[in-house]
Amino acid sequence: MATTTTKTETLVGKRIRRREDPRLITGTATYVEDIKMPGMHYAAIVRSPHAAAKIRSIDTSKAAAHPGVAAVFVGKDVAGVGPVPCGASLPGLRVPHHSILATDRVYFVGHPVAVVVATDRYIAADAADLVEIDWDVTQAVADPEKALASGAPAVHPEWPDNKAFDFHQEHGEIDKAFAEADVVVKQRITSQRLIPTAMETRGVVAEWRAADRALTLYTSTQIPHLVRTLVAMMLGLEENRLRVVAPEVGGGFGSKLNVYAEEALMGFVSMKIGKPVKWIESRRENFLTTIHGRGHVDYYEIAAKKDGTILGIKLKIIQDLGAYHQLLTPAIPTLSVLMMPGLYRTQNIRADIVGVFTNCVPTDAYRGAGRPEATHGIERMVDMLAAELKMDPAEIRLKNFVHKDEFPFPTATGLTYDSGDYAAPLKKAMDLAGYDKLRAEQAEARKQGKLMGIGISTYGEICALGPSPATPAGGWESATVKIEPTGKVTVMTGASPHGQGEETTFAQVAADELGVDIDDILVLHGDTSIVQYGIGTFGSRGTAVGGTAMYFALQELKAKLKKFGAMMLNSDDVTLANGQCVCNKTGAAKSIAEMAAASYRAMALPPNTQPGMVSTYFWEPPNFTFPFGAHLVVTDIDKDTGAISIRRYIAVDDCGNLLNPLIVDGQVHGGVAQGLGQALWEQAVYDDNGQLVTGELTDYVVPRAHMMPWIESSHTITPTPVNPLGVKGVGEAGTIGCSPAVVNSVVDALSPLGVKHIDMPMTPEKIWNLVKGAH
Amino acid sequence: MIPQNFEYAAAQTLDDAIKQIAGGAKPLAGGMSLIPMMKLRLATPERLIDIGRLKELNYIRESGGALHIGAAATHHEVESSGLVRGKCPLLSETASHIGDVQVRNMGTIGGSIAHADPSADYPAALQALEAKFVLKSSSGERTVSAADFFVDTFATALEPGEMIREVIVPLEAQGTGVSYQKMYQPASGFAIVGIALRIARSGGKISMARIGVTGLSGKSYRAIDAEKALEGKAGSATEIQNAAALVPQNVDINSDLHASADYRRHLAVVYAARAIAAALSRSA
Amino acid sequence: MKISGTHRLPFPPEESYAKLQDPELLAQTIPGCESLEKIGEDEYKMKMKMALAAVSGAFEGKIRIADKNPPESFRLIVEGAGKIGFVRGEGLLKFSAAGDATEVTYDGDVQVGGTIAAVGQRLIDATSKTMIRKFFEKIAG
Repeated sequence: MATTTTKTETLVGKRIRRREDPRLITGTATYVEDIKMPGMHYAAIVRSPHAAAKIRSIDTSKAAAHPGVAAVFVGKDVAGVGPVPCGASLPGLRVPHHSILATDRVYFVGHPVAVVVATDRYIAADAADLVEIDWDVTQAVADPEKALASGAPAVHPEWPDNKAFDFHQEHGEIDKAFAEADVVVKQRITSQRLIPTAMETRGVVAEWRAADRALTLYTSTQIPHLVRTLVAMMLGLEENRLRVVAPEVGGGFGSKLNVYAEEALMGFVSMKIGKPVKWIESRRENFLTTIHGRGHVDYYEIAAKKDGTILGIKLKIIQDLGAYHQLLTPAIPTLSVLMMPGLYRTQNIRADIVGVFTNCVPTDAYRGAGRPEATHGIERMVDMLAAELKMDPAEIRLKNFVHKDEFPFPTATGLTYDSGDYAAPLKKAMDLAGYDKLRAEQAEARKQGKLMGIGISTYGEICALGPSPATPAGGWESATVKIEPTGKVTVMTGASPHGQGEETTFAQVAADELGVDIDDILVLHGDTSIVQYGIGTFGSRGTAVGGTAMYFALQELKAKLKKFGAMMLNSDDVTLANGQCVCNKTGAAKSIAEMAAASYRAMALPPNTQPGMVSTYFWEPPNFTFPFGAHLVVTDIDKDTGAISIRRYIAVDDCGNLLNPLIVDGQVHGGVAQGLGQALWEQAVYDDNGQLVTGELTDYVVPRAHMMPWIESSHTITPTPVNPLGVKGVGEAGTIGCSPAVVNSVVDALSPLGVKHIDMPMTPEKIWNLVKGAH
Repeated sequence: MIPQNFEYAAAQTLDDAIKQIAGGAKPLAGGMSLIPMMKLRLATPERLIDIGRLKELNYIRESGGALHIGAAATHHEVESSGLVRGKCPLLSETASHIGDVQVRNMGTIGGSIAHADPSADYPAALQALEAKFVLKSSSGERTVSAADFFVDTFATALEPGEMIREVIVPLEAQGTGVSYQKMYQPASGFAIVGIALRIARSGGKISMARIGVTGLSGKSYRAIDAEKALEGKAGSATEIQNAAALVPQNVDINSDLHASADYRRHLAVVYAARAIAAALSRSA
Repeated sequence: MKISGTHRLPFPPEESYAKLQDPELLAQTIPGCESLEKIGEDEYKMKMKMALAAVSGAFEGKIRIADKNPPESFRLIVEGAGKIGFVRGEGLLKFSAAGDATEVTYDGDVQVGGTIAAVGQRLIDATSKTMIRKFFEKIAG
């Protein structure tokens, strides 16, 4: 019986609680680790303790003889498996061969060397300890600038200069701009290596069913379809014989926007032993072998007129790539170049990137991916310029913003900013803060020798990634919407959400479009055998691109429903609204459920119409979207200890229309937490020998709830013309806006002591040294 | 994150536990230090005897002018016990700074002391309180002072076969002011520097000062020179500063990723001054 | 990691110098040393079991003595590896008379890898100082 209930209240724009949360907070969600199968075996991976070494020999005999061990594989056993792919291409890019297990050399601590497969995980771990490797340890280099110095150890012996690529981009008349400038400010700015630290580490279950010639891979990923395509290629398996499932995914932040050696390795193992096999990454493996983020040393120069008008920006990025290219490694700093003008009008830029190999785990996309680095740089430089010119940091920004009547605005780096009113969030943040009063309070505090800072960042982002020509693997997204014979609605999105709340936001949109109850809608994702091909969730694209694909699929279904309604009501003059089709003359109505049932029963069909009520839409976005905003941070510094306390954190974000303000605020809060992590606490520290000394959560500082300030979150709304939902994306905004605002605030606090710049993380000891140095 | 094979048994009685420990079993109480080390295979005990559930070890009671705390009392129990809060507030205040809620719910006072982590919080308070530990083995019991118990980094006066049965702390005299001031290492929650203070006044002068220090060096200690510098003084800002400056004197100061030796030395003075001032303001 | 310190031995420099190169004595004084076997001129193979509170691990490694300049200084090169990681250290020991005794100062560089490097940052400094102190205390007798 058809049971779809109809409704008239709209849901888009409402603060609806996330529908996925009950299963998450009651511990009943299914992650990779929760998957158990009869006959399942467990894998433990033997990894290099050295950052650079040759392998003289590997003796697996003791491990193989250990009771319960099913198999041990080393590099030569997997020679037939293709290398871990790099999807990025740049002119002249050097791509090291990245085999899934090392063969004769290792290049970073954690490099996989062998895999031990046993009947339980304890046996596997014990036996992994029995694999004996004779190492010839060689010199390592872990610092990108040291790696570029002459005489540095070569990470890959075939490329003694340790360079993977040089990249250059230029626009306008940069030399003229600098020659004519009244003032030029230069600064070296680092954006330290960070460890993404998703709550769920990676994990893979592989199940080979030889009789069906079918491999299923359960993996904690943001991109199940791309994993399917690429792992199938690595394994030499027909793509349609491989099913990839991303079950519940406990966070990714870009670290699971990748294809990893272990995904192919577990497939290989299961096919070899004919049993299902599970590997779950430990936290230590996660720190050592899952990609890191950032890793920039940037050299900035900014030229301006006396009145604060920015004339040009030069940037040289030294990008620490690590030992290999993962999926997008070399492409990430090119996003920094795209973003380098920030929200400012200047058309004169010159950018150079040197991609550097180091004996460290590869860097790749981490929340913001290239854009936080760029925003941090430009927002620091604008503050330094304001200080140099003795201008207020807000004033200099307002002077240089792209004006709201200049959109679409072509940038110096070749982008077209879609829409914006950059002054609006800044002014709102200043109003919320009581900016003039704060400055007066600061002046008073300084008289008393107190260190109080006020910092601003006005950020822009490149989101809704993105038009296909600008991406390595397609920038579109797909959706299928089905109305089942009973009237229930199933949405299948090619985006693969993993914490973003799209089971809720997509259902809100679908409920409004169809006029049905939200509880009648099920959003499915993450299983390549259920969901049509899709790209995935990253780059703040899930809703802006995936949601839009669903929106268009819904429009097609609505048109079809209307055809059935017109037929069933015997009228050409019908309206589809509030979950029913109404004859405008008689007022007679058919519900969605009745129309859906009729479409499957198919006793009669409207002209040129197929049975069923299903629509699939692949949407290609015409442009990126460009969210923006302003963060304002008030800090107090304890002179005696160097401790920084955040008195106020104001975030005004403009991500276009808000489908669910509760989820938007949550995204901002989480993003700010990660931005604060970079500004104040987090850093992946490798010693000179390439040992990761922040190898566990006892030394790597992930922000905890009790370390968070209260975040005063607010919005301005400038819809994007790029998609009909008018949404721009908000997944990375908090992270991008945060770190420069915090650093600007602390530099502002210390400016009476002559401090002009501080690199992150701003640990208390670093601040204490600056205070001490000033006395 | 998978430990080596080990045998596990939960002790039914204290005597049973002692017998097992004498036979080489490693006592497991809250497991907040031991279990992570086992998962990293840094610790590979063959046998564990669980003493965390022994009722004989889980008590907090007052007798003979002192508080007696069973070794298996959790940090949370010490933190929240009305008896401890009322009669030995320095210990409950210090317990409230340990780790996080989950750690305080599981970790025990005896376990923390026996582990003798040089950055643990409890030892600072126990030094300042001149606490005594009752150590039990199959051959009987002995009582050791905190000052004698903490020998070095992870090294204690515990002999093989011995375990901590009880911690004895004095009842704080009326009017004594106490404070525990700590800079957290933000990743682990351990103390970069932790200073525990007790101050009593009489006739406008400081009649008693006790200062326990953790985090600074390889082991916790009492800053006796600083205590002496305070005693007999009124507690002016200068006197506080002068006493605080003595806290890191003649100490081999640790250095790590999170704080250099110079910074730790400086923090010890800052936090000592803060703890002295706080304790003084709470004293009557 | 840089490591340095000074310890006093209650012997004249010549004797201190000799004691610190006496394999039998070293075998008894290096904390956790289970065996020390000569494999070449001034080169020894060592097995040790480190035990520090709950942390324990077996190491196998080599000790080498170089740049001998009696009784003023020599260089000590140590490397060891076990399941929980590896250690490589190199340091210069200098001997100077202090009355009837000798002040031994050491100054060197220690590399630590594996699990102990990844999780032991907080404790490596304190632990290594403790082990060196124990060693000198035992030599001093």
